[in-house]
Amino acid sequence: MRTETRNEALWKFGAYIFLMVIVVLVLIPLYWMIVAATIPQSEFFSWPPRIIPGLQWFDNFQALQENIDFLNSMWNSIIISVSYTALSLVLCSMAGFAFAKYEFRFKEPLFYFILATLVLPIQLLIIPLFLLMVQIGWTNSYLAVILPWAANPLGIFLMRQNMKAIPDSLLESARMDGATEFQLYYKIALPTMLPSLAALSIILFLNQWQAFLYPLVILQDPQMYTIPLALAELVGQQRVYFDQIMVATSLAVTPIFVVFLTMQQYFIKGILSGSVKQ
Amino acid sequence: MALSAIRSRVRSLEAYQQLSDRVRYTRQDISAGIPEIPWLPYAYISPFFILFGIFLLFPTAYTLYLSFFNYLGVANEVLLSVTMGPVTVSIPQIANLEFVGLSHYERLVFRDGLFHTSLFNTAFIFLVQVPLMVSVGLATAVVLDSKFIRAKGLFRTLIALPVATGLVAYSTIFLLLFNDQAGLINYVLVQLGLSPVAWLGSAWGARMTIVLAVTWRWLGYNMIILLAGLQTVPEQLYEAAEIDGAGRWQKFRYVTLPQIQPVLLFVVVSSTIGTFQIFSEPYIITGGGPSNATITVVQYIYNQAFLQLNLGYASAVSVLLVIIVSAMSIVQIQYGGEE
Amino acid sequence: MATIDITKLRKEFGDDGEQIVAVDDFNLTIRDGEFLVFVGPSGCGKTTTLRCIAGLEDVTSGTIEFDGRDVTDQRARERDVAMVFQNYALYPHMTVRKNIAFPLRLSTKQSSAEIDEQVEDVADLLGIGTLLEQKPRELSGGQQQRVALGRAIIRDPEVFLMDEPLSNLDAKLRSKMRTELQELQSELDVTTAYVTHDQTEAMAMGDRIAVLNGGELQQVGTASEVYRSPTNEFVASFIGSPSINLFTAEVSGTTLSGPGGFEYTLEDGSLVTGRESVRMGIRPEDMRLEAGGAVPSTVTVVEQMGNENFLYAEMGDIDITARIESVMNPEEGTDVEFGFDESDLYLFDVNTSEALKTKTGETDVAYEKYIGETT
Repeated sequence: MRTETRNEALWKFGAYIFLMVIVVLVLIPLYWMIVAATIPQSEFFSWPPRIIPGLQWFDNFQALQENIDFLNSMWNSIIISVSYTALSLVLCSMAGFAFAKYEFRFKEPLFYFILATLVLPIQLLIIPLFLLMVQIGWTNSYLAVILPWAANPLGIFLMRQNMKAIPDSLLESARMDGATEFQLYYKIALPTMLPSLAALSIILFLNQWQAFLYPLVILQDPQMYTIPLALAELVGQQRVYFDQIMVATSLAVTPIFVVFLTMQQYFIKGILSGSVKQ
Repeated sequence: MALSAIRSRVRSLEAYQQLSDRVRYTRQDISAGIPEIPWLPYAYISPFFILFGIFLLFPTAYTLYLSFFNYLGVANEVLLSVTMGPVTVSIPQIANLEFVGLSHYERLVFRDGLFHTSLFNTAFIFLVQVPLMVSVGLATAVVLDSKFIRAKGLFRTLIALPVATGLVAYSTIFLLLFNDQAGLINYVLVQLGLSPVAWLGSAWGARMTIVLAVTWRWLGYNMIILLAGLQTVPEQLYEAAEIDGAGRWQKFRYVTLPQIQPVLLFVVVSSTIGTFQIFSEPYIITGGGPSNATITVVQYIYNQAFLQLNLGYASAVSVLLVIIVSAMSIVQIQYGGEE
Repeated sequence: MATIDITKLRKEFGDDGEQIVAVDDFNLTIRDGEFLVFVGPSGCGKTTTLRCIAGLEDVTSGTIEFDGRDVTDQRARERDVAMVFQNYALYPHMTVRKNIAFPLRLSTKQSSAEIDEQVEDVADLLGIGTLLEQKPRELSGGQQQRVALGRAIIRDPEVFLMDEPLSNLDAKLRSKMRTELQELQSELDVTTAYVTHDQTEAMAMGDRIAVLNGGELQQVGTASEVYRSPTNEFVASFIGSPSINLFTAEVSGTTLSGPGGFEYTLEDGSLVTGRESVRMGIRPEDMRLEAGGAVPSTVTVVEQMGNENFLYAEMGDIDITARIESVMNPEEGTDVEFGFDESDLYLFDVNTSEALKTKTGETDVAYEKYIGETT
């Protein structure tokens, strides 16, 4: 009996140690980002390296702004990500509503056709999209980045699943109360599924916020760079300024951390809803 | 309380009331005027399908088409021109192409050494990274699912933090951490009395850097999915196994694993698809080097298409990659779904 | 308030290939201010009929008129009907106040102040005045039910439709709400169509009851009419609890003989003249233990209800039920005999199930006598 409880205690202790180690390993890179962003590059390359954060963040930021206009890139990222998310939410929720709550011809085949395209990877589309954008003169434009994935197969799938859960009687009741068909969509269906909309918004926004390969192909004018492109630009420069890169990186990840910490439940819902597609 | 008091005050203001009611009446009039549309569902889905067709279906088909051609340059010729009264709509040809049949594929499979290298690198990353990440992720999830663990939410939040970092952003951090001269990792190794590793300077080191970076970024993500899977396992199953005399390991082996098998399979398949699409990490951290030791297939596609403008050839690589990944997923699902 | 005329209503489901007829050749007039209950087993077409009246289903053929005005092709929102759903269908994202106000805000040109005032009146009437700022999920089942009612009555509709509104409540609350609903309906005097699968509820609530089966209307009448004079065997078996005992008897002359040695000679033999066999029905409450009675049987179970006993017995291969006084408590396995009055006997045609003879005797003599004395 006594060895039993000792084993148990040992196991519990080991479990905590294991979790601590994982947490430390996860946090080290983020901590290092803070250190490097707040000290001058010179101190960083000294040996041993400095491991306490400094107060140089703003100086490094000014240097970054002089080097490349990073705030402009943030602005581009915000415009693109927000409009993309809004547009995609409208498209996906409207189409998802029709697929969940109406009967029409070819409904099932159309839906399963969309589902099948869930597995198509992005690199299969990039070359024709590039040619298309060149041909219609849309390279270096916001629209060229916003439009292509706005009709999002995962989005329509999630919207349909969630709208199916809305009881028919709710819509019928609204019909009898005098609502038009369009009011059913925006006055009843949309407000009842705000959590799902929030989760989908997070998926869509994040995808666009960190998109790299496609914007890299389409946006060649530094004025149009999004955050990832600006970061890549910094990394690719003749002389690599780690202090500036880390300032830029901290600016890129901080807003998302805030969203993550304040809306974690929707974040997790988003991650999990992506995994139900199997 | 204060807010609702203000609101009721505002509500009682006549001007506000009239305005909001007037807006409502107008809306009622408009909606009463809308005729019933029998094709309403089509109106709901058409915006989606228009964008879907132009930006998803068409490009997919065109990639396949393009893989049988050589790209010669941007076309100026008009493919189709329709004149409707004063308006002329003309659809230009997308590109000047030269038909080459299957020769791209033939070259890819038999002669393109760099493609083979990129495929090997990707496969290496996959073979090391996916088992590492899935096993650590599963262990973390199982420990976190234990009843006795306090502050579960805090642990989960911390471990999932990397999920919120962008692919390029976190790559820059790893570029810094694994810097051969001034990186923290080498500093720690030296402090521990070990010799520093040429992380970015050697083939093995560079590949391992990518592996560790990707594992860091996706560990929490997969742990969340696995944890959700674990939480659906009914408690009675564990209790029944315990009554049957099962120890900790046996409970894991005979209850947990079979119960979360579908979730585990999903994690493996999606991680596989993910690793075969790696691009940002080698692009930022290693640039594909040293001497192409970490160039991935997608990076090769990018180089071929947008640095050398071999768009036809790059399309063939894309198609081949999709075929390889689909085949692997099918094998995994077949094998993993057997039990 | 309106009279509802339903003429030759037919509703089919499924557009290509296989058609399912949910309602067929349905004719019914619901009188102005009447409380009419549709009752029947599941799948009998009662809900479909209600939804056709509501305008939630397009009818295949036939017409529906409100006060002579043809509404068959009108949409739900144009018909001025209100409906209470089984799951209440409260809008989860709106407060009680907004839920109740919703129909007015969508379809009337009243000012916000007027609407607010009405919402509060209705809420007070239903005893939910203190809940106005809460969301539906914070309310109990009974409170949600009241909100749903409030949303229906605030529009002062011509027609009130209710689809099993009480079935999500527990037994005690259900009987309380039954009474409340009836009081409310008679106060508002709105034509009401009410759907339930529970015949007790139907009997208790309806001014008249419409019994449906297999998409066809079987009978319309007051509770006493459908109980005492069912038009066919289905209605007789569906109405009444426990349900009527039914079996087939052979006819020879005026004597009926059935399973397990049942034998009964009719006083009025003309009822079965020219028939070889007939379906017989005797209600459990009309059976009495009687030595030498026509129904010989073996007791299987006695259920004691306190005020009375339910006696389950076998007559040959037929299960029969009798309601007897609680002092009578035969042991299981004993052979007993039941008697009955011919005036309480039901007879049905073997082939068409049409009623040949229904109840003419009184169920509660004491009450009839009381009524006779007081008037």
